[in-house]
Amino acid sequence: MITFKDVSYSYTPGAYALQNISLIIGDGELVAVLGENGAGKTTLVKHINGLLKPQSGSVIVGDTDTKKSTVANLARRVGLVFQNPDHQLFAETVEKELSFAMVNFGMPPEEVTKRVNWALEEFELAKYKEKPPFLLSGGERKRLALASVLSYDPQTIILDEPTTGQDDRQKTRMANLFKQLNSDGKTIIVVTHDMEFVANFIPRVILISKGKVLAEGPTEEILTQKEYLERASLLPPQLVDLSWKLSLSKPSISFEKVTSEALRMLEESRR
Amino acid sequence: MSKMLSGFEFRRGTTIFHKMDPRAKLVYIVLFTALSVIFLNIFVLIAIFFSTIPIVLIARINSKWWQSIWGSKFFIAMIFLFNFVIFVFSPNLNLMSALLTATSMSIRFLALISIFSVFFLTTSPEDLTQSMVQLKVPYDYALTFNMAMRFVPTLSRETQIIMDAQKSRGLEMEKGNLIQRIRNYIPVLIPLIISSFRRAELVADAMESRAFGASKKRVSMFILTLGWIDAAFIIISALGFIGILSLRLFLGIA
Repeated sequence: MITFKDVSYSYTPGAYALQNISLIIGDGELVAVLGENGAGKTTLVKHINGLLKPQSGSVIVGDTDTKKSTVANLARRVGLVFQNPDHQLFAETVEKELSFAMVNFGMPPEEVTKRVNWALEEFELAKYKEKPPFLLSGGERKRLALASVLSYDPQTIILDEPTTGQDDRQKTRMANLFKQLNSDGKTIIVVTHDMEFVANFIPRVILISKGKVLAEGPTEEILTQKEYLERASLLPPQLVDLSWKLSLSKPSISFEKVTSEALRMLEESRR
Repeated sequence: MSKMLSGFEFRRGTTIFHKMDPRAKLVYIVLFTALSVIFLNIFVLIAIFFSTIPIVLIARINSKWWQSIWGSKFFIAMIFLFNFVIFVFSPNLNLMSALLTATSMSIRFLALISIFSVFFLTTSPEDLTQSMVQLKVPYDYALTFNMAMRFVPTLSRETQIIMDAQKSRGLEMEKGNLIQRIRNYIPVLIPLIISSFRRAELVADAMESRAFGASKKRVSMFILTLGWIDAAFIIISALGFIGILSLRLFLGIA
C-alpha cells in the first residue's frame, strides 16, 4: 500500500508543486493520475520511489517511510518508467539495457537471462537483441525503456506517459499487459493525458490540478463530471462527449451503456 | 554544479549595466581578462577582482554573482593545491613563494570567474549575438556561440532527469571506489551525449524548416547603438587598464 499523508513539496519557495496531498493507493490497484500540464503529476510519482522526499508530511510505501530509505532500495519495489526513453537508454545492446537494473540489484545470472528473454518476447524486441538501443525507432525505444523496468519485476510500476508515440495495436497490447500484471497482483500507476486509454482500460482515476487532488474515484464517476475535466484542462473521452451532446441522463465511458441509453431515449421519444 | 552555472545565466534586469551595449562590456572583459593573465602580483589581482564589485552592486546581481563565486570553491581549491604541489616539488624549493604563487593563481581564477559572471549575468544571449554580428563575426559562428550558451541550463536540467531515471533503475552513483564511481557516470553521460545529438539535429531541422540560411544577406530587427553611458564605460575601462598596466611598465610590478 502507498500512503501519502499531507504531503507538500515546492521547487521554488512559495510556489507549491504539491500541496497537502493525502492519498491511498492499495496493493494491486490499477490507477491513472490525470491533470493539466504542470499540475504536479510527475512530482507526485517521484515521491513514491524516493527521488523526491516530502518537505512536509510523509510518504509510506509498504511499511517504509521514503524519507528513511534510499532510491536504490525503493527502486527494487517501485519501478518508475520515465517519459522520454532517451533519458535512460545507454547500453551497447538491447539485451544489456534490459539487464541493467537486475545487475544493479544483484540478481542471480540465470534469473536475469530468464527475465531478459521474457521482456524481449513480451515487447516484440527479440529481433533487436544484439542491436544498440539508439538504432531503434522512437516507439521501439519507448517500449524498451518500459521493458527495462518491467523486466526486474517490481511490485509497483509507475509509468509516465507510456502511450505517447504508440499506435493503437501497441496501446492495446500495453493495456493487456497492464491488466495481466495487475491480475498477478501488481500495483500499476499510469500518468497520462490519454483520456481514451484511461476510459478504456483503467478503473480508478486520481485527478490533480495545481498541486492538489481535485477528485479521485472510479473512472466513470470522475470522467463524466464536466466541472472536474474543465478545471483540470482535460478533454472528455469521446463517449462522454457524445453522452453530453445527446443529453443522456447517465453519461458513461462504456459503449454498451451509452448505446443502450441512447436507444432507450429514442424509443421513449417515439411513444 | 548546476547552482554554479546559474551564476552565469542571464536574468532580465533594468539597471544601466543590463541596458548597456554588450560591445562596451566586451571591451571591459577583454581588457581586464588580459590584465589578470598578465599580472601575477597578488595585490593587482585582488584589485582586478574588486573592480567587478561596483558592477555587481550597480546591476543588483549580488546573490547570483555570489553563486558563481561560492560555487567555484572546489575548483579554486584544486587550482591552489595543484599549483602548490608543482612548486613544492620544483628543484629550488621555496615554501613561501610556492604558497604565494598558488594563492595568486587562485585569485586570478576568482577574478576571471567574477568578470565573466557579471558579463553573462547581465547580457542577454540575443544581444550578445547581435553585437558579435555588428563586430563582423560571421553570423554562423555568432549563432553557434549563442546556442551553446543557451543550452547550458537545458543540459543541466536534463542531466538531473537522466540521473533520476538511472537511480530509479537501481544505479547508486556514490557506490564503490574511485574507479567504480567514475564508471557509475557512464549510464548518465551516454544518454546525455546522445540526446544532445538528437536535439542538435532537431534544432537544425527546425531552423532549416524556418528558412535558416535561405538568403545570404540577413537583416536585423534591432540594431545596437553605442550611447554616452557605453562610451563612458569604455573610457573608464580603458583608463583602468592603462593605469594597472603602467604599474608593470613603470614600476616593474609583474
